[in-house]
Amino acid sequence: MRKISLLFLLIPLLVTGCTSPGGVVAEDLWVKSSEMSMQGGMTAVYGTLTNNTQQDVVLVGGDTEIAGVVEVHEMTMIGGEMKMQEIDGGLTIPAGMSIVLEPGGNHLMLMMLTDDLEAGEEISVTFDFDGAEDITVDGIVAKPAEGGDEDYHSGEMEMDN
Amino acid sequence: MVSRRGFLAGGAAAAASGAVGIAAGAAGASLAAEADLETFAASRQAEFYGPHQSGIELDIQAVTNMVAFDIKESVTKADMLRWMRLLTDDIARLTAGEPVLADPAPELAIGAARFTAYVGFGPSLFSKLGLESQMPEGFAELPAFGVDQLQERYSGGDVLIHIAADDPVVLAHGTRGLVRDSMPFASVRWVQPGFAHSPGMIPAGLTHRNLMGQVDGTANPELGSSDFDSVVWINDGPQWIKGGTLLVFRRIAMQLDTWDQLGIPSKEEVIGRKLSNGAPLTGEQETDVPDLGARHPNGLLVIPEFAHIRRAAPQESGERIFRRPFSYDNGMNERGSMDVGLLWTAYQRDISKQYLPIQRRLEQLDLLNQWTVPIGSAVFAVPGGVQGSELLAEALFS
Repeated sequence: MRKISLLFLLIPLLVTGCTSPGGVVAEDLWVKSSEMSMQGGMTAVYGTLTNNTQQDVVLVGGDTEIAGVVEVHEMTMIGGEMKMQEIDGGLTIPAGMSIVLEPGGNHLMLMMLTDDLEAGEEISVTFDFDGAEDITVDGIVAKPAEGGDEDYHSGEMEMDN
Repeated sequence: MVSRRGFLAGGAAAAASGAVGIAAGAAGASLAAEADLETFAASRQAEFYGPHQSGIELDIQAVTNMVAFDIKESVTKADMLRWMRLLTDDIARLTAGEPVLADPAPELAIGAARFTAYVGFGPSLFSKLGLESQMPEGFAELPAFGVDQLQERYSGGDVLIHIAADDPVVLAHGTRGLVRDSMPFASVRWVQPGFAHSPGMIPAGLTHRNLMGQVDGTANPELGSSDFDSVVWINDGPQWIKGGTLLVFRRIAMQLDTWDQLGIPSKEEVIGRKLSNGAPLTGEQETDVPDLGARHPNGLLVIPEFAHIRRAAPQESGERIFRRPFSYDNGMNERGSMDVGLLWTAYQRDISKQYLPIQRRLEQLDLLNQWTVPIGSAVFAVPGGVQGSELLAEALFS
């Protein structure tokens, strides 16, 4: 009986994302709202990317008007602390699989913001792939969000002050 | 309104449960039916998209949070639109039983449980944003009534989000998401939690009981009827309010200690209805029309001059409202006196023509005033519903 009640957890999510037939599908994308002064001009895009092709696809970067630099990042343990850093060679999405970009995990990092990104504002982001066509998603909404415990780590400097 | 799918699932579960123990050899089916019954509340979904916001023309849910906000000083119409963009998406997802985007606790989205939330705007918002010309007809702050003992902490507000569900955890999780997305734009002015019966206690359409014991909501326009449309839903005026309604909210404290000193006949005369089933003292069923002219053999009116239903009865044909009162229970003092009452809500097209005449009569003479005290009060204009990619109140803030 208990097993059956668990079925309610499996109600399929609404597909609200943008599709590229036979390519990569993005769903439930959002970006963390950010003020340039407070965050050092950084934020990140989160959501689900599904690889509908027959071969592995690699998310190698992206492009958006609001940021000067877009990088694919991972969270990893560095010196006993969770830090984020650029993923060498990009993020692989195996054929037919999905990856989740989420606070505290992999994400598309936006740096050198050109403007404040206010809660409820919408941006357009292009995801660059190796092995599939790039996709551009409009209407990615900025959400006020905490969490993920994200400190930035790079070879040159600590940006989390 | 509950989705067709929700009704069918509920009906099928109920029908199957009737067969439990009768149909030998159908043990598997019975077990499945029993499991469905255990979790029937989780799968019931209200409809978010439509001409009206959800959570009004709907059988009352088990629990509610009314959250009022005051906007931040710098907030503009464009900011309001950004706020509404977040809320529209959040409410759509929560109504479907899904987590909102950026939900830090998505594992709490365990079922729709008839989650609803609607948004409304107080008169103060219109003046702060210079939108007075967009005020609907018959919408203004209420005048002070002699019976009022209003407290600021339960009254007023620029923006209301009225949230409800059939499950307290679903309610808390949904409230958290909506409030989180509101914080860039506003601060919380007050939150007032309430409740009605749990799912499964009362057949759909039956009137709930308040904590004084009365069935509360009799003579409401019937859900889904054209009567309901004409009492509640606005069909003219500024574009944004079409399909919307005007809400009068009153927090009404009950003096249960003194009320409970009354005997049943006295309690019934105060209201004019029987406590057992809500029938008027001149009838047998709750739905019977009260005979306000009926007299006892000794000449006294059966429904006394001071009775609540006599004073509340319409004197003009349009003087009707739709009530959807939740109860509140705010604990008790050291003497065991309970701080309880109603989060009383009335929906209508025009407050000045519908609620106000009724309230003026109740203020002048209604014996019930001895045991009920309005301690909170607010009015909100509730915009119409959304379709497709529309945003709540888009026409007001664009």
